[in-house]
Amino acid sequence: MTQPLLEVQDLHTVFSTKEGWVKAVDGVSFELHPGETLGIVGESGCGKSVTALSIMRLQRPGLIKSGHVMFKGDDLTKATEDEMRDVRGKEIAMIFQDPMTSLNPVFRTGWQVAEPLRLHHGWNAKKSLTSAINMLGRVGIPSATERAEDYPHQFSGGMRQRVMIAMGLTTTPEVLIADEPTTALDVTIQAQILDLLRHVNQEFGTATILITHNLGVVAGMCKRIIVMYAGRIVEAGPTADVFAHPKHPYTWALLRSIPRLDAERHEPLKPIEGLPPNLVDLPGGCAFHPRCAFKIEKCSRDVPALQRVGDTQLSACWVTQAGTELKGA
Amino acid sequence: MIGPSRVAELDMPGAAIEGSSTRPAQSYWNESWERLRANRIGIMAGALIVVFALIAVLAPVFSAVLTHYEPQTIDLSKTFSPPGSGHLLGSDELGRDTLTRLIWGARVTLGVALLTVAVSLTVGTAVGMMAGYYGGWFDDVLMRLVDTVLAIPAIFLFILMSILFKPTPVSLALIIASVGWGQVARLVRGEVLSVKQRDFILATRSIGARHLRLMARHLLPNVLPVLIVAASLGVGQIILIEAALDFLGLGIQPPTASWGNMLTNAESYFFHSVWLVYFPGVMIFVTVLASNVFGNAIRDAFDPRLK
Repeated sequence: MTQPLLEVQDLHTVFSTKEGWVKAVDGVSFELHPGETLGIVGESGCGKSVTALSIMRLQRPGLIKSGHVMFKGDDLTKATEDEMRDVRGKEIAMIFQDPMTSLNPVFRTGWQVAEPLRLHHGWNAKKSLTSAINMLGRVGIPSATERAEDYPHQFSGGMRQRVMIAMGLTTTPEVLIADEPTTALDVTIQAQILDLLRHVNQEFGTATILITHNLGVVAGMCKRIIVMYAGRIVEAGPTADVFAHPKHPYTWALLRSIPRLDAERHEPLKPIEGLPPNLVDLPGGCAFHPRCAFKIEKCSRDVPALQRVGDTQLSACWVTQAGTELKGA
Repeated sequence: MIGPSRVAELDMPGAAIEGSSTRPAQSYWNESWERLRANRIGIMAGALIVVFALIAVLAPVFSAVLTHYEPQTIDLSKTFSPPGSGHLLGSDELGRDTLTRLIWGARVTLGVALLTVAVSLTVGTAVGMMAGYYGGWFDDVLMRLVDTVLAIPAIFLFILMSILFKPTPVSLALIIASVGWGQVARLVRGEVLSVKQRDFILATRSIGARHLRLMARHLLPNVLPVLIVAASLGVGQIILIEAALDFLGLGIQPPTASWGNMLTNAESYFFHSVWLVYFPGVMIFVTVLASNVFGNAIRDAFDPRLK
């Protein structure tokens, strides 16, 4: 395999609260290879977004306690603020969840899309605007020249997300981090934006980290996925294998909870029992064990490490590491 | 589920309908300007202030062409002339022409008001912006400073400062602004606190903008509406403060004419030369009223919270 483009090593990001330190990201490690699309899946508050923000060093008020983010041989956690500014928007770009609030309401969209070019290449207004209009056209904004004159409120949600993507791509970054890019959009627009991201990935060769809580989204987009729970990675592997044979009870339960079109009409939904744990006071052992259908005595005592289970997957689960298959009602 | 056929849809009709519109881009400023124009009384008040400002700027011309007097010209043979021939609006106890002095007084009054607003807005915005943006202990220190400034009874501070520094139009403006910036700082800080929570600030940081750029290029335009409103409503208040200080003899000193110090002398002759009180008084009244009406019109048009 090629040299990874981005390598996150044992990242710990914490937040200080009245009740104590919240370990939002608790020992996360993964690699991103050039041109790859990696999915990070998990429910709200499991640390997906904080992981992404920590890569960009925008996690404040959170604190990166330990770990490394290796990007092209440099450790971003040790880079100065000046060096980080050169990385942000130039080499790693980010797209946010809510396109309605991610654009500055007082500026014309063309001007905003051109901002990274003015910042990083020092281009003048005219040259950067020409390039921005070109990029707006490439992300599927019709009559881009005229639309560049419009203000964000004149765009629909889907169009604004395209504008955000265009803004991220103007400097042709090597990594694009899309933090729930489709969550705020309706389903048909979601599909369009995902297609656009896939298209971008192929056309520009931009490695993409797609953060989402929607398993359907990663199924269509990502070769490889990471499943997070309570700030830790619980399972990682090729999407097809993870979906076909989940090696962690959390993944297994997540997949089982998706309503199926081909199910019996009155078959009840199968939610995951219980609630996500309080990050200030994680349960001992495996953080998922209070909700786990397969738990054994060891689970509440020792924290399982992420280890190879099967041929292609990694899992942090005592049960599957011992060779048990996850099956059940 | 999500097939490659969808890629083709990107440039297809669904998207095109939205883009085919030909309406002109309605910016926030265009919209606000339209709203302001629709407010007749507000526009009239604004026009009145502009006229006063023009008269003030052209004071030497008026004094040469219209009144033929200088503001300091003393004519002891024509003291207390009633309004009419010779002196259009009468003359005072030293025979100085009231109209000429009013016109030159407008320079002082409007000039001080303008300078005060400019200084308190600049300082207040800078302090409020930094406090709101950086937050933490920095915010605490700056805001406690503002609290302290605003806790001092303004009129005593003005009196003290007027005694310490010789009151000229510039120093008077600085004295009034030394209190005025506090209000602005609070206002701007509050606005920045709310705007900086919005995602576009994080998005702008994620493309590598530095703090200063973020504040000046991205935050400032978003707090500008609040500033415009504060400025326009502040003018009337400042004119009153300035007139009061002049009246008390703590502001602009005679013989330089200002509306406030014209009243000081007029007070003594109220019973036999009442016009000496009327004209400066009416000027102050009309100007303050016009600034307040115009300020309200500006607020109705520009304040995003009223929409």
